[in-house]
This record gives sequence, C-alpha cells and structure tokens, in this order.
Amino acid sequence: MVTREMDHAGTKAPGRAWMLGVAAWAVPGLGHLLQGKWGRALLLGGVVWVMFFAGLAFGGHLFHISSSDQGFAAILQLLPMSANFGAGLLYIGCWVTNTGFAEQAQRITYEYGNTFLLVAGLLNYLAMLDAFDIAAGRKP
Amino acid sequence: MRHVLWMTIFAMLTAVVFGVVAKGSDRQRLIYGLKVFAEFLVIAFILGWILYFLPLR
Repeated sequence: MVTREMDHAGTKAPGRAWMLGVAAWAVPGLGHLLQGKWGRALLLGGVVWVMFFAGLAFGGHLFHISSSDQGFAAILQLLPMSANFGAGLLYIGCWVTNTGFAEQAQRITYEYGNTFLLVAGLLNYLAMLDAFDIAAGRKP
Repeated sequence: MRHVLWMTIFAMLTAVVFGVVAKGSDRQRLIYGLKVFAEFLVIAFILGWILYFLPLR
C-alpha cells in the first residue's frame, strides 16, 4: 500500500489538477464542486465561508503588509497575512474594498475573530490540496 | 459561557475539515473528525484550568 501511494506521489500531476487547485484556493469549495464532489464542496467550502464571515462579524481583522511596516515589523505581518491569503478571493475582495483591515480590539470577540479569519485561510489551503490530490488521481 | 460556545463552534468547524480531508473509509474519517473535535475541547479545558491556577495577574 505504501508503495502504491509512493507511485501515485511520483506521477506528474496533469494541468487540470493545477487549475482545479487554483480554483479551490480562489473560491472555497469550487475545486471540489467542479469535480462533482458535492458533499466535500459543501462541507469544506461551507466551513471556510462560515469561518471567514464569522471572523469578520466577531470584529477580527485581516493582516496585510503596508508601506509603514519595515524590517522585522513586515516579517511579523507576513505570517498571518499568508494565512489570511489562503481564503482566496474572499481576502482579495476585502482588500479591494478595504473591508476588515481595521483593528477593533475594544470588542470582546476580537481575538476570536482574528483566529476564525486566520484558520479559515489555513483550512482553505488544506481544501485546496485535497482538491488537487483528487484531480491528480492521488485520492478517491 | 459564550467563550465556550465560540470555542466549541471553532472546534467543530475545524474538525469537519480535518475529517473530510483525511484518508480512509467514511466511517474512519467520521471517527477521526469526532476524535479531533474531542481533542480540541479536552485540551482547551485542560489549558484553561492550568491558566486559571497560574498567578498571571
């Protein structure tokens, strides 16, 4: 069984798998939806969408690197920003409309909001890898 | 009490994703998801009680 898994890992992924991986990142759930995996799309996409909007509703804020961040401050912003960036177009949409970037530390659910937003992005990375593996034939 | 609710919702949502992307049969993945959910809650309660007794203020 291990040998079979290693064989699958060694095979080159088709271009379609990469496209579906990008789709899964851009719109949470879309990568599975395009492969006809309705249940997975609903669960994975649903969780990411719910967590992202719950995070915003809780008063959490999204991270980004601004021109005022120099040196170590920029590095400190990079890690949470890359986690937020996992939410794909949800993050980009917020960035374009400047939504969710203001800190609301006075709110009691502020830290919950931050955590929900960060984890929504990280979970979408997992969902993206899952969609890629399915499209590449490495997973049923 | 509301903090426990948010934490439980967080654990539930995260466990769903962990269960769905895991390998194995549907039953194995369901059990894995439930295990992750239970682990989140148990560890959170243990850490909560440890922090309660620490003189942090």
